[in-house]
Amino acid sequence: MVSPIYLKMNLASDIHELPPILEINLVLTIVFFVFTLLLISLILYLRVHKNIANRRKEKLDLLLIDFINNYLFNEEFNKVKEMAVFKKRQLKTSLDKRVAISQILVFAENLKGESSAVIQEIFLGLGLYHFLISDLKKNAWFKKAKALFVFYQLNIKIPMSLVEPSINSSRNELRQQAFLYLLHSSTENPLGFLDKINTPLTLWEQIYIKNALKSYKGNTPDFSRWIDHKFPSVAIFCMKMIADYDQFEHIPLLLKLLNHENPEIRQQAILSLRDMEISETLEVLLEVLIDNFPNENIVLKQEILKTIGKIGLEKHLQAVAPFINKEDGILKVELQRLDRYFNPKSSKIENTNYTNNLQSDTINMSHGT
Amino acid sequence: MKKKILVIEDNPMVVKSLEFKLLKEGYDVAIAMDGRSAMQQLEATNFDLILTDLMLPFISGSQLIEHIKKNHPNIPIIVLSTATQEDIITDAFNMGVDDFITKPFSPNELALRVKRSIGSFKNQLSHK
Repeated sequence: MVSPIYLKMNLASDIHELPPILEINLVLTIVFFVFTLLLISLILYLRVHKNIANRRKEKLDLLLIDFINNYLFNEEFNKVKEMAVFKKRQLKTSLDKRVAISQILVFAENLKGESSAVIQEIFLGLGLYHFLISDLKKNAWFKKAKALFVFYQLNIKIPMSLVEPSINSSRNELRQQAFLYLLHSSTENPLGFLDKINTPLTLWEQIYIKNALKSYKGNTPDFSRWIDHKFPSVAIFCMKMIADYDQFEHIPLLLKLLNHENPEIRQQAILSLRDMEISETLEVLLEVLIDNFPNENIVLKQEILKTIGKIGLEKHLQAVAPFINKEDGILKVELQRLDRYFNPKSSKIENTNYTNNLQSDTINMSHGT
Repeated sequence: MKKKILVIEDNPMVVKSLEFKLLKEGYDVAIAMDGRSAMQQLEATNFDLILTDLMLPFISGSQLIEHIKKNHPNIPIIVLSTATQEDIITDAFNMGVDDFITKPFSPNELALRVKRSIGSFKNQLSHK
């Protein structure tokens, strides 16, 4: 009988006897073949692992629904004993704990009243608080973000030292969850985190904060506190909120911002004041806007025209009309629209650049045809 | 004799909780996970109350309510929905639902409202 070692040696010497090009080809073929086998094995392993995890998740979901319902509604259920048994038998791995957290969140999302406190009790009893606290101490941003999300959804307080570092995280998602945690857990100052941020607020963050404020149970914050914030995005957000929450006492501040050096802030000041529609300040607002009109950029000019359309009179339109250039097509259209709005039957804007330009355009067009 | 309640809801967690709570309160509970299955059960069994979501697979809650009001006008309906918009709630009442509970809901409050709806339905029948 020929030994395998002898065969191996023989094969190796046979390969060396081949021409170099064939030898390289053969070696590469073997390497790629082995690599392909390893890759297929890895894919199969991952697939099987995922299937096992999914089956475990489905089974655990049913067990959890049953356990939580018993805990919530069954008066004969031995809560202390069953909690210990469930924790020991069912929550062994990190996956089990994450499945339990997801299911508890579904309960928290659908039930309120006396059940909310019991759901918190289950969360703490199953040891999930410490599990998520350890996630918050890890480096993975997505684990920290998820942990913060769970804590504010379940209304569970955690040490501030674990939240504050995330306020200025480089990941938007984590920053956002930190803001929402701080907002929901605060009793007096839901936007206090704005004093600590080192990056501008993104539009999504502004939307999430605005939505979270709607369900905030404490007193509405005084948004003027951040109107001079170092980040224009924060100032702009607060100006929007002043209008949304009808904080009319801050109108003088908004009027001042009509002359701010940053055009974005000037624009938001116009939008907020326009939305608030306070009759006592309309004349002052329009006066400032008309004075500023010649020097504003096209976007702000558009906003001023819209404001005149909403709260102004024909005389205000006539005052700005001479400052609209022939080249500003959008402004010309807006001006014409407002002119029609103020004078539904006939245009009355006369002796302005705008009418002169418009007339010459019409003449050119008629010549062209 | 136990009162029969048909729960029409597609969220397994909510279904289980409702089933658990209502069984504990002493009702018979039937479950339909979608509008189609609900219609089949309505043809086969007489129910004392229907508890339904508005967003359901295959047939929407609104279509289902219309069907129930047309074919089983005497069964009281309680809507259990995440919708909080005034127009959706008004539309539901205009269609003839007896009560509207928004999610998240308090199970104890729900049990009370179920009891009240079944009670008022029984009173209506006894007056007739």
